[in-house]
Amino acid sequence: MEKMEENEIELETVVIDDNADSADNNIVPTDIVGATTNVEESNKVEKLVKFPITRIKHLVKMDPDVHLCSQEALFLITKTTEFFVECLSKEAYSYTAQSKKKTVQKKDVEQAIDAVDALAFLEGVLDS
Amino acid sequence: MAERPEDLNLPNSIVARIIKDSLPEGVNVSKEARTAIAKAASVFVLYCTSCSNNLAMRANRKIISGQDVLGAMADMEFERFIEPLQASLEEAVAKRKQEKSDKKPEDIEEGSDEGGENEKENEDEDEDESS
Repeated sequence: MEKMEENEIELETVVIDDNADSADNNIVPTDIVGATTNVEESNKVEKLVKFPITRIKHLVKMDPDVHLCSQEALFLITKTTEFFVECLSKEAYSYTAQSKKKTVQKKDVEQAIDAVDALAFLEGVLDS
Repeated sequence: MAERPEDLNLPNSIVARIIKDSLPEGVNVSKEARTAIAKAASVFVLYCTSCSNNLAMRANRKIISGQDVLGAMADMEFERFIEPLQASLEEAVAKRKQEKSDKKPEDIEEGSDEGGENEKENEDEDEDESS
């Protein structure tokens, strides 16, 4: 049941296009971000995303400046996070291979973060 | 809200699978490295959200759209993700359309009197039958 919930996605009910003008007056976040009523539907599209969209949604909601997020945006954020994990893994592995090792270590990940400009936002994150 | 990124880590099993699939066979990943990557992924979500939201706000919109996320990729120096993301989106939309057209006409008719919300209940029933 949980898995179904977490993989929910419903692109067609992106309210943004239809209610763009009334969005300000109709701030009902759950309709957009929290629409969990179609959880069972998600079974059909579960192959499209690996991460649970609800978990991503919680992270998105943590930002105090964020008002609403369309389902389409949520889907893309989920998908790009998957790409990111892939990318970071490969970068880290390049250092593992350089050391002729077969196990990727945390220090390889740290090296990747130091070396790649796009990963600069992660500096200091792994320290704690 | 004193929640920190660590409290909302993505499922380790899924992170582990993505990592494994992205690396050559025979390569192992230490638990520490997996945890580090999972943590980085959570931070990535927050960063991506922030960048996307900035784009939305600049355009005087309160709702983050898919285009904002795609635009944020450029800001974040992850342009390489833009094309695959667009492809995934098209796939998802196409799949959704296919599901709608696969729906039996009776279900749609039944739901039409009661409105959109109950249509979902009908879909629930379909789901039960198919699972």
